[in-house]
Amino acid sequence: MFDIAKVYESPADDFDVFIRITREEDIAVARQMAKQLAQEAGFSLADVTKIATAVSELARNIYRYAGQGKIMLKKKTEEKEGPYLEIIASDQGPGIADIDLVMTKGYTTYERSLGIGLTGVKRLMDSFAIYSEVGKGTVVIAGKKGRKF
Amino acid sequence: MEFKAHIKIEELINEVAATGKTKKLWYEFLAAILSPDNKDKKQPEQLKETLSLLLAETGEEALTEKIKVLAENHPDLPITDLLFTIIKICGEIRKEHEQTITNLRRMLPELATPIIRIWTDMLLVALIGNLDSQWAQSIAERLLDRVSATRTKVVLVDVTGVPMIDTAVGGFLIEMFNAIRFLGAEVILTGIKPEVAHTLVKLGVDFRMVTIARDLEDALRKGIAIIADEKKKRRQLARVITGSRESEDDGELEI
Repeated sequence: MFDIAKVYESPADDFDVFIRITREEDIAVARQMAKQLAQEAGFSLADVTKIATAVSELARNIYRYAGQGKIMLKKKTEEKEGPYLEIIASDQGPGIADIDLVMTKGYTTYERSLGIGLTGVKRLMDSFAIYSEVGKGTVVIAGKKGRKF
Repeated sequence: MEFKAHIKIEELINEVAATGKTKKLWYEFLAAILSPDNKDKKQPEQLKETLSLLLAETGEEALTEKIKVLAENHPDLPITDLLFTIIKICGEIRKEHEQTITNLRRMLPELATPIIRIWTDMLLVALIGNLDSQWAQSIAERLLDRVSATRTKVVLVDVTGVPMIDTAVGGFLIEMFNAIRFLGAEVILTGIKPEVAHTLVKLGVDFRMVTIARDLEDALRKGIAIIADEKKKRRQLARVITGSRESEDDGELEI
């Protein structure tokens, strides 16, 4: 069983970027830091934008639905494999009862939303996993591989 | 706690190697923490003031280093009493900074979004920066007011200065575009960068309800074409109504 609480308690030292999302402004901060980290890791401009957008979506979800949570980013740069970046979005919010439903394009419980955020993140990234338990919170782990040239 | 203040202050100042302007501040600061009536209610206020000045002058790191040196050399110095005051000061400084950021943030929408009348019946809005929902709202409101108050037929929206469009920003733009069209104006969108285009496709954000132009020049040309077309139709209509047989190129007939 995936331990949601354990991910939430991950030490900050394990990550290159560790941001608490508590206010709306934190979304912009998370996005900016993700952009910078992806640039440093050597991603192409298109991939940097995709990563920043994915982080923005995940941070906004945390702010909207859980109130607060954490965005954690880790980069790996191996010359042969090309850059790799992992995003972990973790919160202890209400959790998601039906994950299949929220992963449906167009589904939203938020009034002014397009309902394509989570599916969008999945398509922006190379790997995507979501774990959630009602009353315990939600964890999204997404990874992006840079193309090797 | 007894501490022979008068003898030691000069010595202590030497230890922290303060010079010039900071020397005076250190003197006041040390005098404040060493004065016997430390528990007095007035004292913390005064201490707070000197300490914030000192902090502003030397910076956190240097100040911490120096206080550490003092604490190591003189275990009897009432440094721990300072902790409370320092935390309070830091809290206040943070609050002040946050206030400044909030104020600047409030100024941003005004700075970032001039609405320019670029041609007859045509407005240009150059969106700049991250369109966070808070002030994106004020942009939309101002633009809609302007469109409805003037005879605007075409609104050019340039997003060259928008580094990233996620679903929140995309949703905001779609709402704004639809509202503009409800007011009877056309929207021409321009300035989408290749990396943003890529992201929009992946996200599934669809701007196809508006005309998209490759650059501002193209947008302007398309806009002028729409307005010219409109004028032509108006003239034809005027001819039908007045039954005149004047040629098409004749002077403007406004109805």
